[in-house]
Amino acid sequence: MREAVLWISGAALAFFVTAGAFLMLANLGTGPSEKNLTPNPPPAETGPALELTLNKERLASLKALPGQELEVGVRNAGDEDLSGVNLTVEVSSENTALSDARYYRENVNELPAGNSVPVRFYLDLSTYESTASSTPSASAAPQPPRKMIEVRATTPEGASAIKTAIVPI
Amino acid sequence: MRSRMRAGASWLRAVLLAATVLLVAGCLHNQNQGTSIPPLPAAGERVDPGLGPEAQPLSSGPGYKGSPSWSPRGGRIAFTVDGYVVDKPVGTGDTRRWTTRDFVAEDAEWISEDGLAIFGATSATATAGEASRSVYRARPAEGSLGVEEVATEVLAMSPGPGGKGLVVAAEMEPYESKLALLRDSGAIDRIYTSAVRGRVTGLSLSPDGRNAVLAARTAGDLNSFELHVFDLRADTHRRLARLEEGMEIFGAPQWTKRGICYVVGKEGTSVGGGTEPLYDLYTITQGSDSPEPTPGVGDDFVASSIRVSPDGGRLAVIGRLNPKAPINLYVLDLATQNLEDLTVNEDMEIKTGPDDLAWSPDGESIAIVARGTLSEEPRVRAAPKGALLEDFYNLYEVPVEGREAAR
Repeated sequence: MREAVLWISGAALAFFVTAGAFLMLANLGTGPSEKNLTPNPPPAETGPALELTLNKERLASLKALPGQELEVGVRNAGDEDLSGVNLTVEVSSENTALSDARYYRENVNELPAGNSVPVRFYLDLSTYESTASSTPSASAAPQPPRKMIEVRATTPEGASAIKTAIVPI
Repeated sequence: MRSRMRAGASWLRAVLLAATVLLVAGCLHNQNQGTSIPPLPAAGERVDPGLGPEAQPLSSGPGYKGSPSWSPRGGRIAFTVDGYVVDKPVGTGDTRRWTTRDFVAEDAEWISEDGLAIFGATSATATAGEASRSVYRARPAEGSLGVEEVATEVLAMSPGPGGKGLVVAAEMEPYESKLALLRDSGAIDRIYTSAVRGRVTGLSLSPDGRNAVLAARTAGDLNSFELHVFDLRADTHRRLARLEEGMEIFGAPQWTKRGICYVVGKEGTSVGGGTEPLYDLYTITQGSDSPEPTPGVGDDFVASSIRVSPDGGRLAVIGRLNPKAPINLYVLDLATQNLEDLTVNEDMEIKTGPDDLAWSPDGESIAIVARGTLSEEPRVRAAPKGALLEDFYNLYEVPVEGREAAR
């Protein structure tokens, strides 16, 4: 009888002690258990800024022929003068199975801050004979592939800009 | 003394027992009711490509893409680009090329975790229309872009039972099709002797892999289509239904838990001034031989392509709610007949080819192919061509529960 009383009182005491401990622990942790971490902002761009402009009206007049004039506007949007702006143009087909990319390069020696200059390229937009519609991959797509003109500008200081034109010719 | 020690031990046991019970209860309570708070997406990580915020791109850049196929474990996705085959990790990672450029692949299906079966033709044998093709086996681990031709005169193919191997329908005799089971290695495991009279145009397996359902142009009258059910264990088949003349079955019929679903239509009915045909979705329920409009999609629904979920209980449908509505991706719960839209199309062209949608193996996502509306005017983007999305057909992963969760 005495042992039974000891058992019951011991269990009750243990219950209250443990429950109290849990309640105390629960009250200690009032903050959220998981936290949404705001991602670090991307590093701010430093140094000079370059801007490229492609004239849509001029792009619309391009034909699938050699000697097509493309005018690229290059602007120094930063507050430091730039020297040695490299411009590259890649002309390729929308059909990635065709190896018909053509590359062009120009250089702007000096570009003062806030100024812009037009740079002219004369592109061969004709289709290689080897990439004519008779090639196997041409049958994969129902529409004729468009031309892509990707223009990149870089400077030794690390500034860069890129524009891609998709031209349905 | 001994009795005091017994009493002390009893105390200790009682305290330990109570503490253990409470600890277990506390832990269980925490496990059941605690909710995980998803972290915020990184700035700029998610993009809305014009299909709704849940759709996320799986590819980018130029190229005419199609025929997505998830690897058996779901970690990679293969697809065709301008006739060749590539795959890439579903998350970030580089694209891996499987075939050379002088190849015209129409469909690619995984036959193992590191092997693809490719339905198509080499440049020397490329043909058009419903003419037979070959099936090629490709394995990137073998270090070359070469493919091995494992079956010729193939009309249609489907992943084999359990996603392993391949079942192909081949034209053994003129207007006579036979099925064959290929192993992962490409070796022929079994050629079924029971021939289907006609040219098979699409096939798929039942969820348990014991049966196949075939769509076939009828021998002697290629304007008519029939549905056949093929028992792969007994090597027998029977005609399930014959369509009216001029009606065609688009793509592969799908074997679901609620019956066989297929898209049927007639060429020539225009949509919005175009020439897109109007297709309806039909179901032949188990034990019945008479097709009925699939319940749940509505009377005006225009179906384009369908694909059954891995568990056989849901049907992914690319289609329109009515002939003037935009094309979207829907999932039809075949048990509850509930049709849920998974995309919100904002001037996107979703590809409607029969192989241009695919379920992930876990049934939680669907891959589709879409691009922005084409323009006659030049477009200028401030990004490299390889990062462009909506200007070209690209693959998008659409979570099945995404829209429901967002609501």
